Amino acid sequence: MELHRRNVLGLGGLAALAALLPSCASALPEADVGAAGFGEGATGTVRLWCRAATVVGVRQVVDAFNASQDRLTVEVTPVLDAQYVTKLATAIRGGNVPDIVDIDDINSMLFIYRDSFTDLTPLVQQLDFVDRINPGQLRLAVRDERNYGVPYIADASALFYNTELFQRVGIDPAVATKDFDGILAAARAIGALDEKTYGWSVDGNAAGILGFVVQPHIWAAKAPNVVGEVGAQRGSLADNDAVRRTFQLYQTMWKEELMPKTNFSGDGSRWGADFRDGTVGMLPANFSVAALNATPEMRAKTGVVLLPGPAGGRATFAGGDNLCIPRGAANASGAWEFARFALDLPQQTNLPAGGYIPVRSDAATPEYRSTFPLAVTPLEQNAAAYAPVTLAYNLLFNQQDSPWIGSFRRAVFDGDLDGALDQGQDDFDRILEQAQL
Amino acid sequence: MSAVAERRPAVARRSHASSPTGHSLTHPPRQGVLLVLPALAFVVVFVLVPLVFAVYMSLTNWPLIGSYRFIGFDNYVAVAKDPVFWKSVGYTVLYTAIVTLPILVLGYVLAVVVRSNRRGSTFFRTVFFLPYVIGLTTLSFILILEAQPGSGAVNIILKALGITDGTTAWLADGPLATGLIIVMIVWAVSGLTMVLLMGGMQGISRDVYESAEIDGASWWQRERQITIPLLRPTIGMSLVISVIGSLLAFTQFYVLTRGGPGTDTQTVVLYIYQRGFVQLQLGAASALSIVLVVVIGLVTAVQFRLLREKA
Amino acid sequence: MTTIPSTAVPAAPAPSRRRAPHVGTRGAARTESRGKVTLYVVGGTLAALVFLVPLIWSVLRSFQSNDAIVASSPSVSALSKLTTANFSALFTGDADIARAVGNSLVVAVGTAVLTAVLATLAGYGFGRFSFRGGKVLFGLIVVTMMVPFQAIITPLYLQMNAMGLTNSRLGLVLFYSTVNLPFGVFVMRNAFESIPAEIEDSARVDGAGTMRSLVSVLRPLLVPGIATSALYAFLASWTEFLGALTFLTDDRLYTLPLSLVNLQAGAYGAVNFGYLVAGAVVAMIPCVILYVALQRFYVAGLASGAVKG
Repeated sequence: MELHRRNVLGLGGLAALAALLPSCASALPEADVGAAGFGEGATGTVRLWCRAATVVGVRQVVDAFNASQDRLTVEVTPVLDAQYVTKLATAIRGGNVPDIVDIDDINSMLFIYRDSFTDLTPLVQQLDFVDRINPGQLRLAVRDERNYGVPYIADASALFYNTELFQRVGIDPAVATKDFDGILAAARAIGALDEKTYGWSVDGNAAGILGFVVQPHIWAAKAPNVVGEVGAQRGSLADNDAVRRTFQLYQTMWKEELMPKTNFSGDGSRWGADFRDGTVGMLPANFSVAALNATPEMRAKTGVVLLPGPAGGRATFAGGDNLCIPRGAANASGAWEFARFALDLPQQTNLPAGGYIPVRSDAATPEYRSTFPLAVTPLEQNAAAYAPVTLAYNLLFNQQDSPWIGSFRRAVFDGDLDGALDQGQDDFDRILEQAQL
Repeated sequence: MSAVAERRPAVARRSHASSPTGHSLTHPPRQGVLLVLPALAFVVVFVLVPLVFAVYMSLTNWPLIGSYRFIGFDNYVAVAKDPVFWKSVGYTVLYTAIVTLPILVLGYVLAVVVRSNRRGSTFFRTVFFLPYVIGLTTLSFILILEAQPGSGAVNIILKALGITDGTTAWLADGPLATGLIIVMIVWAVSGLTMVLLMGGMQGISRDVYESAEIDGASWWQRERQITIPLLRPTIGMSLVISVIGSLLAFTQFYVLTRGGPGTDTQTVVLYIYQRGFVQLQLGAASALSIVLVVVIGLVTAVQFRLLREKA
Repeated sequence: MTTIPSTAVPAAPAPSRRRAPHVGTRGAARTESRGKVTLYVVGGTLAALVFLVPLIWSVLRSFQSNDAIVASSPSVSALSKLTTANFSALFTGDADIARAVGNSLVVAVGTAVLTAVLATLAGYGFGRFSFRGGKVLFGLIVVTMMVPFQAIITPLYLQMNAMGLTNSRLGLVLFYSTVNLPFGVFVMRNAFESIPAEIEDSARVDGAGTMRSLVSVLRPLLVPGIATSALYAFLASWTEFLGALTFLTDDRLYTLPLSLVNLQAGAYGAVNFGYLVAGAVVAMIPCVILYVALQRFYVAGLASGAVKG
């Protein structure tokens, strides 16, 4: 009798299991973005999740939006960067999603690949400035030629230089920063000026920074380190001449002491402090680090160009945040209305005040140029913005033990270029394979 | 454990009255089944079903969101080849190896102190067990403060003793963080060992000790010849609990270092969480979990076998 | 405290100290050397200090401001500048610790009650009734103690999701109860087995059915065991972290440990160590109070579990 009961229990358990399985695979319903009146005249609340890192800037835009009309109210929930992906994923899993998310653009594909975001293609294509939107960022939310998100703040990497130091060594920075030969020559000349002056500076122990500023060199040469279609990618380091030459440039600059000693352990907490003090000739960084936090005197002698490839070309990291509307959002229409507002010129042209770059190149109005001169080049040339579209960005580049920083440090600080490239190739391939299982 | 095998001298006799079928009239078996059914249901639904489910999931590429497909043993192959996994295994095993003996020894010493039933031994017992009651989670949060370079209590004390200059960033370095965590764990968990051992010690009859004392045995000899052998089942259980707890360590590592710097202090469970909920790969995490369950089972079985064989 | 009839084996869940034989008891105290006593006092006191001082220090810290805590050259005078600002900020500011405490209480008490009820029923069933498969089923429940919940948390998450139990305190209570059940059933079965049959029989003779006899007659004898299981379950779920982290996503449902994680990461602004340690102290207090008040049950319960192996 009791054995029967046990069987029943066991069967019941298995039946429950079987009942669960189908419910696990379905995606949430999508809003009909093509419906008439979508994105206009919506009412109610719009729940927005933003990265804790951007909350100040986002709150400004939200307050402006809430003040500009009284149909919709946007509520902001800041989420810590480290928890963002997990929290959003579990919210989607649980069917309880926010209406719109401000997500780091390199994380977008992680969700798009799993059918979690609403297809916004008709809405995006209808924007009259769509051809002036940062293509690199936009691309990070594109799959099978459909748009699943729209960029709204940009964080581009660029090469900032100290015009005064260049004057002292008599080199034209526009020429010098065109390729690696020019950079090396300039760095040598500036480094020779005196003990405390260096040609170049980069925090060599900060994974995020190394991904942000070192990679554009290889993109300028059109030789990315991750190749293939999303889902079937592999790494490209050992066979990549641009990567080799980039690491070699850094290795040389380090060996010849053209970079300060603190670069060895620099973890980003004092990023750019030496450049802002005027002791460094060239600093690859972003607007916030090089300009926003610098004194007006320093800003006056700062110039900016995009990062060059080994033999020419220019590129920048298409960093920043996308706005995406999760599937199953309660107020998708209101969410899009907010997104439109965030993309309007008055909001966009004011972004550098918070350290970010606009995503639409027509934001480079005359007042913009005069107020934020150092934020013009990355904006005007945003066609050269690129970032790898992959499911494993954090594992490959952002984590402290990721292979990009691993091979960089091995090649530059340990001097083992070949070993670094081979090891990096293996690690990249393994991580991509795992992520694409 | 031998203690489980032997039935205590029957104290609770079953009632005499029985029906023609031999079933007890006052305690009909059916009622017994009904009584245990709720607990059983919980265990089946929340432990056994997920366990079976885990086996299935480990054979798929189940992502946290989106659809999945069956991939057979690919996850297990990837686990075998995964250097990050093996690093976490090595780290967890090393951590367990270092931490187990001090916990046992300190717990034993504390038990010796409080078992004597002198004045104040209840107070001591309360105090020694207090950190365990407070819990590793809360203690870890407190440790964050005290491990800060310069201002944390750990550094203040070391600086006052002249051992360091007080600027060590304990949590930013793998070995240092591990050392600090080990100290905290030994401090907190020895209380549990103490309580477990104390119970066993109280079960040993006084007479055995008295006759040994009469024969001239010293304190240490009495401990070694009498207490420890008689305590073997209890020591064994204490060890099993301690080892399993260490192999499954998660909370203190998540709170204090998140497994960093890099993956230097990443334990196996931390890695499982990372794969499942940060990298959104539940299939891979399930495979890792199944491996973990198997390993824990093996380790426990080995421990039981070893403790049984010791003559 | 309830006296257990003399036929009971002394090592039942709340052994009277007078009964249990001890090593080096008062019988030998007369001949105890002063050396031993000194060793006991000195050693014990030193050890007690080692265990108490860090906790007391933390309580002190919770009354320091963040600036005082991170001051790189701390001075004794800093100790005089104590403030309750941390606590007031926690309870009235963004962190809303009161809500987290409330959530933790709901979950922990719920778990304690549910565990106690289920364990008592099952303990009674296993301890006093014999039915085919009884031993096997008991073994099954105990064996699940060996299955680390960390290993099943992944599929359990999906399963609870499908059952609508994620992001809910009820789901957490059900989960924690299951985790604490094996120990509870173990303790309760022992408790029941220690009760002589006569007591139950006389109740039956008086006409009480199974449930009646359970509740009114046996209850006083079971209080120690019930208290042990309930207290153990409460303490285990009060500080439980991984389950809460996995199953809860809504900030408003966060239990204390999760709120502390947020405090640690500076979710409510820059990292404020004062808030963090104050939050930790808030988490400590209920544990300490409950433990000190009920410790004879708790300690005895664990100890008896050890003896019975």
